[in-house]
Amino acid sequence: MAPLLRTINLSKSFGTLPAIQEVNLEVYPGEVVGLAGQSGSGKSALCMLLAGLYTPTEGDVYFAGRRLKSPSQARALGIEVVHQEPDLAERLDISRNIFLGREIGWPLVGKWLKVPNRRRMHREAARILTQLDVHFGSLHEKVANLSSEQRQMIAIARAMTGPSRLIIIDDPTLLLSYPCQQTLLSLIQAWQQQGTAIIFSSNNLDHLLAVTDRIVVLRAGRQVADFRTDETSREEIVAALVGTNYREQLTPIIWALDSYYRARKQAEALCHQQTLLERDLAAQDTLNQQLIDQLAKQVNALDSANVALQDAQRRLLTEREQEHKHLAREIHDQVIQDLLSINYELEEIEVDERVTSALKRELTGVRDSIRGLVDDLRHICGNLRPPTIDSLGLGAALQSYTHDWSRRTTIPVTLDLDANLGRLPETIELSIFRIVQEGLSNVRKHAQAGAAQVRLQHTSPRSLMISIADDGRGLADDFDLSGLSAEGHYGLLGISERVALLGGRLKLQNQASGGLLIQAEIPHPRVAQPGGEL
Amino acid sequence: MDDKAITSSQTGEKPNQLGPLRWIWRPLIGRHELIVFVLLLIVGAVLSLGTDTFLTANNLSNISRAFSWIAIAAFGESMVIIIGGVDLSVGAVMASSGLVSALCLQGDLPVVLAIAAGLLTGGLVGWLNGTLVGHVRLPPFIITLATMSIARGIMFGLTGGWPVRNLPQGFRALGQYDLVLGSLSVPLPFLFMLGLVVLGSLLMGQTVLGSYIYTLASNERALLVSGVKVAQLKVLVYTLCGLLTATGGVLMTARLGVAAPTAAVGYELDIIAAAVIGGASLFGGQGSILGVFLGAAIMQMLRNGLVLLGFPAYWQTAAIGTMILAFILLDYWRRQREG
Repeated sequence: MAPLLRTINLSKSFGTLPAIQEVNLEVYPGEVVGLAGQSGSGKSALCMLLAGLYTPTEGDVYFAGRRLKSPSQARALGIEVVHQEPDLAERLDISRNIFLGREIGWPLVGKWLKVPNRRRMHREAARILTQLDVHFGSLHEKVANLSSEQRQMIAIARAMTGPSRLIIIDDPTLLLSYPCQQTLLSLIQAWQQQGTAIIFSSNNLDHLLAVTDRIVVLRAGRQVADFRTDETSREEIVAALVGTNYREQLTPIIWALDSYYRARKQAEALCHQQTLLERDLAAQDTLNQQLIDQLAKQVNALDSANVALQDAQRRLLTEREQEHKHLAREIHDQVIQDLLSINYELEEIEVDERVTSALKRELTGVRDSIRGLVDDLRHICGNLRPPTIDSLGLGAALQSYTHDWSRRTTIPVTLDLDANLGRLPETIELSIFRIVQEGLSNVRKHAQAGAAQVRLQHTSPRSLMISIADDGRGLADDFDLSGLSAEGHYGLLGISERVALLGGRLKLQNQASGGLLIQAEIPHPRVAQPGGEL
Repeated sequence: MDDKAITSSQTGEKPNQLGPLRWIWRPLIGRHELIVFVLLLIVGAVLSLGTDTFLTANNLSNISRAFSWIAIAAFGESMVIIIGGVDLSVGAVMASSGLVSALCLQGDLPVVLAIAAGLLTGGLVGWLNGTLVGHVRLPPFIITLATMSIARGIMFGLTGGWPVRNLPQGFRALGQYDLVLGSLSVPLPFLFMLGLVVLGSLLMGQTVLGSYIYTLASNERALLVSGVKVAQLKVLVYTLCGLLTATGGVLMTARLGVAAPTAAVGYELDIIAAAVIGGASLFGGQGSILGVFLGAAIMQMLRNGLVLLGFPAYWQTAAIGTMILAFILLDYWRRQREG
């Protein structure tokens, strides 16, 4: 295969000072050739010569079989150069710089009388810059306002505007940060895979060893070595760089250089690590956010489950009340009426003359027990469904119930009702009635009280405070509401459940004078004023 | 570099402070053309109030005719100045192109061919200047000084120092006739010049060539690296300057009806002055055709005004020189401020 680029005895002097002396270099398509050399060894001068920017003092550069004469010819033949310092047109914007010399537009006459198509150039420039992973606020920005790194990336982008056969890179990494250096190294590999030859001049041996196929070493303008990268070592290259083969003399220099490179590499790695860490941190943040979101979702699900549960319980209670009502009506309308009619029949038998007085006494006993049975049944009905609550309302039902309770238990009860109690919705009235019922039954069972007090007071037009107080034992010190169900005491628990279902608040506390005070505040729809339009 | 990034973000915010009419103001703020235009209005107003004769159709027609060829040559000169060069041969080129045309006419060549020969002369001198500057890389000041003497010398040799007279009517019409539009009569050279203002502005502002011309003075390396044929570009610009100057020379000869080897002596100074007053920076990279047009106009107005106000003609040079100095200082001050 013929070499793409060949230099023959290439020499360049500035006055009497030789910069490049008799360099014979061959570069083949798809090959990455590294240029190593200390500062002033002529790497940049060689790059200039290869780009046609310097005219050789002696010797020639042949590219694809043609002798190179000018930079415009070099670029036309497919040689792109990225210099150490980017050469940009300061007055022009980013995309004009990227397409400098290769403007896209409508050619009026020839190449120079072309009217640039700015929109297309912006679009193409944006595409190339995306490949380079560089981002600018606006491609209309004049390059004079940009940082060195941004300018260098623009110079690199310029090398990507057309089909290229050889890309000469003259150590632009000096101006580039670690991520941009990595981008450049991967670009070099991508270019190589497309069959583009690359001459990569660098002071960084790691970079050279990473991407090159061959490494040419320059010293004082002369080509002193040409290593295959796979078959050489860092020590060998450094030996060629500094120009001695004596290992003893070499060691300190190698050591110094090596530690320098190592330190630099570590610094770069640290820098990289830092960016990675920052990225990780950001990722962690998003993970946390996701977890919080999930948690919130679960809490919401629990909430709705809870609401559904309460709803179910409310329905259960309502249905139970309905059943009670039905049962009470059955007993009252059927059983009691039947018993009463039996009683009447017996009474009629009793007044018959044929009945003996002994039998009469017996009948009287039976009738008394039937009456007692009716009373018991009435009591059961009252418990199942307060008889007065539907017709006369909560106040009457409570009065009747407390009176009855007091009579049965011989504990005096004072009932203190709000003057404006009025009628409340059926479920609320029934619930309040049950709360009082359970509160008083609690007093009877556990309090060993001498007296009890029930108060119903409006604390606002939309809420009612129910207080049940006694002068008994009060609550134990280690009282715990949740422990009650385990012990089989459902009274207070039932109260708290009902209050919760009505959306109210329950407070249990011992009074200063002794005894327990149960306070339940229950919200309800606005009560119509007594005497108002109802 | 960070400082630069900061200033760029500041300039990025600027348009918002200009208010709703910023699309009118933004292109004008800091524009040299605006300064020159305002100055032109002031000078015009002062002369209109100070004399009875300035604001007459005849006088205005004379002024516009007289500065046309200076302006046309200055367009070419400004391009050369913008690429960081200078062309001192413009006066000699004006004289020699006019003279070549006149000699061709005397040899009974058709007017069109005679004009073409005149333009070719200018183009040839420009091409020579450009080649020596671009390819051989000699300093333009020395080169154009030399070509100036050569051109002038050849003209003296060809004519023996005598002017060429009796030019045909068809040729003189180019410089002497007016286009009459109702009450307005516009001199033909002025129309030519206006056409060239439009063409030149399009060339400098819209084409790739224009952007290369503005870039060349400060960032020649960028053009080189991008594969632009810089030497050819220089040749082209000097040749264009020669062609434009020759156009001015032919128009001047047509107006005067006489071609003399001594014509246009010292015009190089007026032409450079028009370019500099119009905003072409001697450091390169700055200037516009429109500005140069205004610069040439203001100079001619000043000349005319000094005469009308009764100053002796000797003072004109001093006044023009002062103005050049003022504008060079302005340019310098602006560059200092831009850092």
